[in-house]
Amino acid sequence: MAEKFDSLEEHLEKFVENIRQLGIIVSDFQPSSQTGLNQKLNFMVTGLQDIDKCRQQLHDISVPLEVFEYIDQGRNPQLYTKECLERALAKNEQVKGKIDTMKKFKSLLIQELTKVFPEDMAKYKAIRGEDPPP
Amino acid sequence: FDPPRAVAGAGRRPPPRPRAATGRGRSPQGRPPPLLPRCCRGVSPLPISSRGRTGTTELTGSTNLITHYNLEHAYNKFCGKKVKEKLSNFLPDLPGMIDLPGSHDSSSLRSLIEKPPICGSSFTPLTGAMLTGFRLHAGPLPEQCRLMHIQPPKKKNKHKHKQSRTQDPVPPETPSDSDHKKKKKKKEEDPERKRKKKEKKKKKNRHSPEHPGVGSSQASSSLR
Repeated sequence: MAEKFDSLEEHLEKFVENIRQLGIIVSDFQPSSQTGLNQKLNFMVTGLQDIDKCRQQLHDISVPLEVFEYIDQGRNPQLYTKECLERALAKNEQVKGKIDTMKKFKSLLIQELTKVFPEDMAKYKAIRGEDPPP
Repeated sequence: FDPPRAVAGAGRRPPPRPRAATGRGRSPQGRPPPLLPRCCRGVSPLPISSRGRTGTTELTGSTNLITHYNLEHAYNKFCGKKVKEKLSNFLPDLPGMIDLPGSHDSSSLRSLIEKPPICGSSFTPLTGAMLTGFRLHAGPLPEQCRLMHIQPPKKKNKHKHKQSRTQDPVPPETPSDSDHKKKKKKKEEDPERKRKKKEKKKKKNRHSPEHPGVGSSQASSSLR
């Protein structure tokens, strides 16, 4: 999985570095650096081509839109992962609690029904089998 | 007092008549009839069939899903320790002020999706004629355009922290021990100190009073 991203990461790093150097040339431009600037501009085009080629490997990758919101706000996108995991665990615990309560309710209901309808419950248990205790 | 459920149900469907009152459903043994519609009788004593039962292999919320999907490592990584808030902590090598909101300089990723740039399907290298459009004037950029080179200020605390770490690698002693030792040292150094103080006083008298604020400790250390 991670290998898929390696080439993209490499191309992006090269691209960013090229842009940074381009920025330095432009920030205090000298006529002699025109050829260097032209080179950098064309390198930028090839860099974009390389990044575009990476699309083929990553067509099955989907990114949640919420991550973009984090990045746009200047926040660490790992915070999104963290919040997702925390939310998942909280929901997991919540559902587990519900399931456990329902299991207890079921066993109590069976217990009480057995008292009132012993024959029917015997048939019921014969079909359903004995339930494990909650 | 009528329960609210009965009020809500009125007019929609007549309330179910108790079967026992009709006398039709009573079993020959005299016990109440099973609580089943006629179609289900003989199939299963309760409307829940054996087919509807949840299997033990089915994945539900009763299992720890983080463990099930082997996400413990990720959970410990992100939730075990504090994740730094800023984007620059995630991308420390990216130049420019990346912690500012993207909406400020219209560099947001969302705008890239909502308003995709108008461009062709392929990237073609710039020809010589095209590059003439990139001839620039000599000289530095105006101030307002130099934003790209401004880096977010890096915290100095880090270095301080590291230094302090390196400076005290010795495990802290128990307060009682250290105090005791200090007291002992004080007792031992007492006659020496007195001597030094005397010397210092003499020196002070000799020198011009240019540095009256120098503490006794500093002075004593310089003497040593």
